[in-house]
Amino acid sequence: MDLDVVSDNFAFMMGGLGLTVQLAVITIVCGLMLGTLLALARLSSRVWLYWPATAYIHFFRGLPLILVIFWLYFLFPVITGKPMQAFAAAIVSFIVFEAAYFAEIIRAGIQSIPEGQSMAARASGLTGYQTVRYVILPQALRNMVPALVTQSVVIFQDTSLAYVIGLREFLRRVNLVDAREARSVELYLFAGAVYFAICSAGSLASQRLEKRRERMSLA
Amino acid sequence: MIQIQHVSLWYDKTHKALDDVSESIRRGQTVVICGPSGSGKSSLLRCINGLERFQEGRVVVDGVSVRQPGTDIHKLRAEIGMVFQHFELYPHMTVMQNITLAPMRVRKMSRAVAEKKAMALLERVGIPEKASRFPEELSGGQKQRVAIARALAMEPKIMLFDEPTSALDPEMIKEVLDVMTDLAREGMTMVVVTHEMGFARGVADRIVFMSQAKIVETGTGSDFSSARKTKGPASFWNGS
Repeated sequence: MDLDVVSDNFAFMMGGLGLTVQLAVITIVCGLMLGTLLALARLSSRVWLYWPATAYIHFFRGLPLILVIFWLYFLFPVITGKPMQAFAAAIVSFIVFEAAYFAEIIRAGIQSIPEGQSMAARASGLTGYQTVRYVILPQALRNMVPALVTQSVVIFQDTSLAYVIGLREFLRRVNLVDAREARSVELYLFAGAVYFAICSAGSLASQRLEKRRERMSLA
Repeated sequence: MIQIQHVSLWYDKTHKALDDVSESIRRGQTVVICGPSGSGKSSLLRCINGLERFQEGRVVVDGVSVRQPGTDIHKLRAEIGMVFQHFELYPHMTVMQNITLAPMRVRKMSRAVAEKKAMALLERVGIPEKASRFPEELSGGQKQRVAIARALAMEPKIMLFDEPTSALDPEMIKEVLDVMTDLAREGMTMVVVTHEMGFARGVADRIVFMSQAKIVETGTGSDFSSARKTKGPASFWNGS
C-alpha cells in the first residue's frame, strides 16, 4: 500500500470533485422542481395532466440511468444533427431521470397529508394553487425530508456515471490517474473514502435536521 | 339565503349520498341537521360551499348558483365559513397564522389589519393568549374555538358546522357550543350538523332530520322534543 500516489495526485483528483458537486447540486435543484410539477400532475384529476406525468415517471423508473445518458449523448445528435456536449448531456439525463424519483417521493409526501387539510383550505376560499402552496406542500415537505436526503445522496453517487461519456468528474479523474500509475487498490479505496465521507455528512445533517424538528414539534 | 333544490349526489354508481334533497334557509336562521351517521348530513353541508360536486339539482347561496360554470367558487367560499369535526387547523402554522392566512391571501388584507382582526376574534372566543402557539399545544376545545375564529376572520355571511363537538371530550363541548350560541344570537346564518340536541332545541330555528340520503322530517326544536314518542326519528332521539 503506497498512499503517495494519492497525495501526489490529490489536487488533480479533487479538482474533479468540483464538477461532481456541480452536477449533483444542479440535478437536485432542477430535479426537485421538475419532480414537484410531475407529482402535482400525477395527483391531478385532469386526465391530460395525469396520464403524461404517470407515463413519464414509469418510463424513466423502468430504465437504467446509464442508458438515458447514452441515449442523450449518442442518439440525440443523430436526430437533431447537432453534437451534444458531454456536460449538457449528463446534466439533462440526470435531471429528467431523477425527477421521476423525486416525483414519487413528493407524491407520497403530499398524499400523507389528510384530506381534511385541503378541504379546510379550499373551504376558506383559497384557490387550488394557494392550497398546495401554503397548506399542503409545507407540511408534505417536512414528511419528505428523510426520503429526499436519501435520494440526494444517491444522486451524488450517480453522478459518477457521467464518466461513461468522458466527463472528467471526480471518479473519471481517479480513473485517469490509475491508468497512468496502475495503483488501483490505493486509488479506488481513496475514491470510496471520499464518496463515503461526503454522503455520510449528508445523511448526518438530515438526521440532525429531523431531530431538531422533532424537538421543535414537542416544545 | 340558501336554497337547496332537488340535490342528488352519488359517490359512485351504487352509493347515493343524497337523494333529491330540498331545503331553504333564510338569512339569520340557524338550522340544525341531524340523523344517523352515513345519512348524508355532512355531504349536504359540503354541497352548500361546493366542496361536494353533486350531479343533480341546484344550490343557490345568496343569489349565486354553486355549481354553475360561470360561478367564482373561491369568491363564494370566502363568504361561507366552515368548521370541521377534526378542527383541521394547519399544524405547521401558529394560531395567528392559521387565522390570518385566508384573509391575507383571499381578501388581500394587509398583515397588520389581519392580525388585529385575528386578535379581536381570539378575544371573542376567549383565548387571546394562545395567538403564538401551535395547534398541537391546544386542547380540543381550544382548537375548535380557533377554528371558529379562523372561519369568522373572513367575515362570512354563512357559517357551516360539521359535527363541531363530536371529537371533543365532554367537558370541552360547552365552551364550543357557547361560542356557537352567541353567534346564532347575533344573527349569523348557520347550518349545523350535530348530535347535541340541547343546542338544537335551544338555538335552532329549525331542525332537519336526515336518514338514508333523504330529509325525512323537519320542524322546530319544540316539535321534536314533544314528538319524541312518534315513529321514525324517535328511535334516534332515544339514542339507539
